[in-house]
Amino acid sequence: MKTRKIGADAQSSDISRTEVRWRSESSQRIYSVKLVEALQRAIQNSTPALSISAGSRAVRDVADRVLAMTAKGRTRWSRAILASRRRLSILRRHRKVKKSRASRINRRSKPLSAAAEDRTRRLPAVEKRIKVLSQLVPGCKGAPVTDLLEEAGDYIAALEMQIRSMITLTEIISGSNGERTG
Amino acid sequence: MELPARSNEIALEYFQFHDEIRRLMAPPTENASSFTALLELPHSSAVELLHLPEPFKYSAVASSGSLKPYFQHLGAGGMCFSANSAPVERASTFAVETDASSHKVKDEPQAETTESDSNPIISLSQPLLSDFDKEDKGQMPGKRKDREKKAKGSAKKSKNQSSGDAEELPYVHVRARRGEATDRHSLAERARREKINARMKLLRELVPGCNKISGTALVLDEIINHVQTLQRQVELLSMRLAAETPRMDVNLDSIFTTESASLVDQSFSNMVYPLPCSDPQPNIPRQYQQYPWHLNPLQHPMWVREELKNNPITSKNSHMSDDSPANPAAMHSRAMEKDRAMKIE
Repeated sequence: MKTRKIGADAQSSDISRTEVRWRSESSQRIYSVKLVEALQRAIQNSTPALSISAGSRAVRDVADRVLAMTAKGRTRWSRAILASRRRLSILRRHRKVKKSRASRINRRSKPLSAAAEDRTRRLPAVEKRIKVLSQLVPGCKGAPVTDLLEEAGDYIAALEMQIRSMITLTEIISGSNGERTG
Repeated sequence: MELPARSNEIALEYFQFHDEIRRLMAPPTENASSFTALLELPHSSAVELLHLPEPFKYSAVASSGSLKPYFQHLGAGGMCFSANSAPVERASTFAVETDASSHKVKDEPQAETTESDSNPIISLSQPLLSDFDKEDKGQMPGKRKDREKKAKGSAKKSKNQSSGDAEELPYVHVRARRGEATDRHSLAERARREKINARMKLLRELVPGCNKISGTALVLDEIINHVQTLQRQVELLSMRLAAETPRMDVNLDSIFTTESASLVDQSFSNMVYPLPCSDPQPNIPRQYQQYPWHLNPLQHPMWVREELKNNPITSKNSHMSDDSPANPAAMHSRAMEKDRAMKIE
């Protein structure tokens, strides 16, 4: 976990860290190159999946894994993506069910201190959305809210970079394919 | 102004102020004996109390802590250490609205006698507070844990521990607000709440269109919507890539060589062109207008040079130059030839 002080610099450095990590040209290039290599390897390894859904799912998995690798495993979601192979997904499903039950119970029996508990958080509306968000961001199912928000920020920036490079890649490949055949 | 049974809390607040003032001049003293020292400065702290911002009055009624918004304001103000008070105001309004909405929802009777006392006192001019804030925060490396707690000795603090671990500080520094309970739980929760608000701020800046929305739930809605949109885009793009990929092997070399150029051009084309293939999500280019790419077209990154060096096949690239200018691939090749020309020299 990155060391963080709450101070004047911390927040701006958080933003800048996210920016630097996912908005920089270099990281995008790294990601694109790795993605191309991984895609080629995947194509060579597996016989071409003729179904559209299987092929696209494979590409998406590859893209997500490469993205997680580019993250260097400092964030929860990247570690969760890398750890989630087919074998583990079954185990995770079992764990998820138990964990959700436990976490729900814990939340209710938490001792309420009269003074400082923020009521907005205990609002069912906010709680619901936090839950939905935790389901969206990989690896944040039972995470505390602070971690969840942090992961969500990093995840969003990473996704945007992924989309940018995938657009670029698509253009290149379609361009070169068109060149070849045309 | 009468100080009923909450004298210790108010004294604590004075204590805090006094401490900050002291810290401006000298390293602070870290024990509860500063309480007595506080009594030397009742006036300055009263002046500070007098200068709480106007909207905080309502939150003072709403929350159990009369200076809860002040506190959040301080924390937020410290975190966004900027020259102007705009982000501080933003944070304060956010905190205020949060508190106001929370107050409307819950009708917990707040039998806080100091509320009535502090309310008339609390009418702050924002710049004064923010100046005070910045001065103070500039000295403080982080949030400070309540001295009183340290004086009481370290007790079990599971919540504090969890929040402390998340921050990787030995302990979380929290400032007690006036009139609010100063037990460990509430302080830790306050610290946690501050952290959550800080991250929410980051997220708001990350997700487009959240700055106008007020309220945690709606902002979270926007964030969820954004994440879902991005994930959907990734799936669509992966489908398109999967359609292209079977023919990819043959174009291995050209892929690597053209990729550099297209990356360069992408920065322009993304804003200008829609994607050449049918783009089911027309908002893809629009989104990235918000994120300007700082690409220097004349800059040739190292990895590109390496790829080009490793690549003996350059004849393909020269073929591409015959294409029509409307074709982005032609732009790629033209830029690429530029690259090569510059590299050779």
